[in-house]
Amino acid sequence: MVKTDTKIEEEIRAIFSSDSPWVTIVWDDPVNLMTYVTYVLMELFGFSKAKAQELMMKVHTEGKAVVSTGSREEMEHDVARLHEYGLWATLQRGDQAL
Amino acid sequence: MTSEGFKRHGSNSYIAEFAQNEREILINLAEQIIELLAERVDHGHEDPLAAMVGITSHDSPPEDEVLHRLLPNAYQDQADSAEFRRYTESTLRSKKQAHAMAMRMYLKSAEDGIIDLDHDGANAWLGAVNDIRLALGVRLNVQERTQDELELLAPDDPLRGVYIVYGWLGWLQEGLIEALMDES
Repeated sequence: MVKTDTKIEEEIRAIFSSDSPWVTIVWDDPVNLMTYVTYVLMELFGFSKAKAQELMMKVHTEGKAVVSTGSREEMEHDVARLHEYGLWATLQRGDQAL
Repeated sequence: MTSEGFKRHGSNSYIAEFAQNEREILINLAEQIIELLAERVDHGHEDPLAAMVGITSHDSPPEDEVLHRLLPNAYQDQADSAEFRRYTESTLRSKKQAHAMAMRMYLKSAEDGIIDLDHDGANAWLGAVNDIRLALGVRLNVQERTQDELELLAPDDPLRGVYIVYGWLGWLQEGLIEALMDES
């Protein structure tokens, strides 16, 4: 019971928290071309070429990168758009271990 | 393969010329993606209103590996993923089908083999070519096989042809992206 209560408290805190508690993560994929990942990030998020390339390199070398932060709803929207263009993306709470 | 790929012309025109056999291969691949996505029909709709607003009966990922890659999970958590899929998968499927249908239409109407894309057309084309590459990539098992292993596929291995097409599509995609990034 105590555990459940803590979980509910956390949930409520997250709902009212002013920081952006959710993140969109792009995962490395052997099919998607590096230039394609860069281009999609520029198109969907309006990133500069330099910023998009930096994120793409992070995905490529570290296996994943956070590409956007915001509300759960916003991140679901971002993931849906990334899936439309075939990038491998998921969303999760920002405070969860990556 | 004889096409030189896409080149930028002016501010919003990306043109490529394809030989007849190349055009046929591309049409065939686009049609296969359209058909594959159509296989994932929404079964057993008891609520027509739910169907109308795009809520599907699917809350588990496709069993087919290729479809699973095209329609991936949005969460690492299974329950959250199932919920998200129920509300969004049919929209994602229609968008992917629309990309492949646009690509097919461009090719079908270009009897001279000349494809002229604007920016939006290029994005649809890129999305469609990428879905085809994702599908071929699953069949080629690029996740497990190294590039060297793929290069060394025997000439009589049926996957050899798939790998050649996969490589060609990557080259085609790369050229179109370069042409698009030229302006930015």
